[in-house]
Amino acid sequence: MLVFTRKRNQTIMIGDGVEVRVLRVGRDGVRLGVTAPPAVPVHRREVYELIREENRRAAAACVRPSGTPGRATAAGELARRRTS
Amino acid sequence: MTPGEASAVDDAVDRVVHTRFGTFAVDPGAVVRFPAGLPGFEACRQFVVLSSPELAPFSCLHAVVGPAASFLVVDPRLALADYRCALGAADLARLDASEATVLLWLAIVSMGDDGQACVNLRAPIVVNPERMLGYQLMPHNSLYPVRHPLAAA
Repeated sequence: MLVFTRKRNQTIMIGDGVEVRVLRVGRDGVRLGVTAPPAVPVHRREVYELIREENRRAAAACVRPSGTPGRATAAGELARRRTS
Repeated sequence: MTPGEASAVDDAVDRVVHTRFGTFAVDPGAVVRFPAGLPGFEACRQFVVLSSPELAPFSCLHAVVGPAASFLVVDPRLALADYRCALGAADLARLDASEATVLLWLAIVSMGDDGQACVNLRAPIVVNPERMLGYQLMPHNSLYPVRHPLAAA
């Protein structure tokens, strides 16, 4: 792991598109500002992990309701209906 | 979708998918690309939204390339009538959408610890039907829960 010492308003660059700036240093936390291209998602790690676990749980619990399935329709049809 | 765009769909797409809700024929033009996959299913980049009268108002979001992944999904506004979720410029860019684009919103259904069906309102899936692009939103400041109880609809 690379370790940096940074002061308030100093930044680090990650690649050529991501910048992390130290906005404020407090007793219990550091406030960071992240600038990244639209294609690079930025999340708090615990939020990403929460969603990941919920997705895995939902996929595992994707249970069969009563009744037999019918003809499939899809978002493609939705798009055609909306643009026609 | 134009024929040119349809050809961009991976030839490896399953033409028939077997889900827990039955067997569905897949129209290649109905494949939605998720360039980032879904958290926990990052390798799943192409899905179809399967609907049937028996499944309504739910749909099944099913991966057609890569590892098996299947989700029961529902319009989040069916779970919470005044559900609101704002899209930022980066979200719209990811979906190749504009403010005026009519988007398809899907909330993932799961079972709570008590067996009660819940919907994930915290991280909805958004599909741009004009581009067949999808993305699971994770708004930074959302106050909606990941397990909102689904009342009998």
